[in-house]
Amino acid sequence: MFTEQTRVWLVVTVVLSLLALASACGKKEETATDTGGAATGKTYTAKGNEGSVTGSISFNGAPPAPKKIDTSADPVCGQRNPNLATEDTVVTNGKLANAFVYIKDGTLADGTKIGEYTFAVPGEAAALDQNGCHYRPHVMGLMTNQKVRITNSDPTQHNIHPTPKNNPEWNQTQPNGAPPIEKTFARAEVLIPVKCNQHPWMKAYIGVLKHPFYGVSAEDGTYTIKGVPAGTYTVAAWREGGATGTEKTMSVTVPVSGSGTADFAFGEAATATGRPGLEMMPALEFPMAGRH
Amino acid sequence: MNKGVHSFALLVASATFFLIIAGALVTSHDAGLATPDWPLSNGQVFPKMVGNLFWEHGHRLVATSVGLLTIGLVIYLFLAEKRRWVRRLGLFALFAVIAQGLLGGLTVKLMLPLAVSSAHATLAQLFFCTTVSLAVFTSRGWIESRAVIEEKGTVAVRYLCVIALATIFLQLILGATLRHATTWDLPPDRDLLFAHIAGATAVTVVLGMVVLTVFRRHREESFLTRPAALALGLLGIQILLGVAAYVARLASPDDPQPLNPMVGITVAHVACGALVFATTILLTLRAFRILRSCQASLNLARSQAA
Repeated sequence: MFTEQTRVWLVVTVVLSLLALASACGKKEETATDTGGAATGKTYTAKGNEGSVTGSISFNGAPPAPKKIDTSADPVCGQRNPNLATEDTVVTNGKLANAFVYIKDGTLADGTKIGEYTFAVPGEAAALDQNGCHYRPHVMGLMTNQKVRITNSDPTQHNIHPTPKNNPEWNQTQPNGAPPIEKTFARAEVLIPVKCNQHPWMKAYIGVLKHPFYGVSAEDGTYTIKGVPAGTYTVAAWREGGATGTEKTMSVTVPVSGSGTADFAFGEAATATGRPGLEMMPALEFPMAGRH
Repeated sequence: MNKGVHSFALLVASATFFLIIAGALVTSHDAGLATPDWPLSNGQVFPKMVGNLFWEHGHRLVATSVGLLTIGLVIYLFLAEKRRWVRRLGLFALFAVIAQGLLGGLTVKLMLPLAVSSAHATLAQLFFCTTVSLAVFTSRGWIESRAVIEEKGTVAVRYLCVIALATIFLQLILGATLRHATTWDLPPDRDLLFAHIAGATAVTVVLGMVVLTVFRRHREESFLTRPAALALGLLGIQILLGVAAYVARLASPDDPQPLNPMVGITVAHVACGALVFATTILLTLRAFRILRSCQASLNLARSQAA
């Protein structure tokens, strides 16, 4: 039935197919072992006179109205969360929630750079839950190599798919009732988008840092970063929107056992520029030294 | 001519067109990674088809059906088709559909790298081109004897058709790359977008020249004028759909998820692009079937006389 030439082609086709299949099935999830330089510095030991950075995030102008999400593709989501809406700009009384605030750079009071230190990684895993077909929390922080514990509280299936630039990408299904998934990110990255490809409206953002000095603004726009050594720092506030979000920075001095304040404002001005805002803003307040 | 073979080839070509639409729906819904495993979906042959898994697993089911139909066509060709080169083309189609399935698996396993995703979308068009060609070669219009027409003019219509075909294929590659370069929640890549617009201009110019030449030289030959007119009409629709797809994609990053207007328009743009390609293939093959250069006609007459 087949000529010799045809048989050769058939054999080549089958061999190539098997090779491609083997390469596809043999690819294992990459495991990041690079610590991104986090473990190379001297270890910071708390002295008991650390301070904090506090502040609030404002939103100028009229915020965009949340958009109702069409959950008809998965009726369970509609039953579980009938009022599901977008969470990219949650503003209450002019204050913005879900802004990620962190120390970007800076110098401690003794003149050493914060980047020269390593900080103890919390043993407790940070929690990320899928509840009502959205991620809770929407924005969160982690230290490098700290575990994030992902749970599914929904009676439907999700898949968790972070799309980092500096860490390995992974995509894992979590059926309803499945045990929690624990993962770590080895390299610092602000911020890693997380999505669910089954429910494309589901988004979360994880800020991964080498130090523990970060916070997320609450519904009233306030945040607190505790345990900060005295020094002068560049504090950054990031909010989602556009391809990479918008970031603003300002210089803040944290006195010994005191508190530095960094208030940020987003909204019309930031939106109008349409680019990641790296402009320096003056510190709005330098708090008193010695305040506990 | 075997009517059954032609009907089966038409069925495979139609199913492939439907498969291209199913694939485009996956891309537009950003559903390519709705399940991280392949070939099963979440370890199941028939998973619960909710959320974006409906589009991704549905695409896999349609693809499996097309694969099985292609196997059936190849068997049918080897049983009923006398022309060896047509049987070989059938084997090539089988090879292409297997490679296409494996590429689809790689896109999932490697988490949609642009090169693999674009190659998957491009090979889809090549496979469609092959199934359309098989349908043409097994048709009565191809097999029955036809008067050979001598080409007049400096540039042969056949070669113009080949240039148009190559231009459309390059444009399809550009379009596939543009679609897979960003997801719905990000703006389209500007460089790729400009390249795709330039490609559209080139296709319009080249295909326009082909159609104009066909109508000027072979106005009476409906065997050529029909696909030419159809290709031009589809190109017009395709350009309108392209503009609409651009507007819809520009607006989509503000949407909480891929919404139906954007999905519908972008999928229609992909499907219409495939139809422009298929119609141009038909025109090209028909041009090669009945048109000859003066010298070739002379040689043919001599060989027949000898």
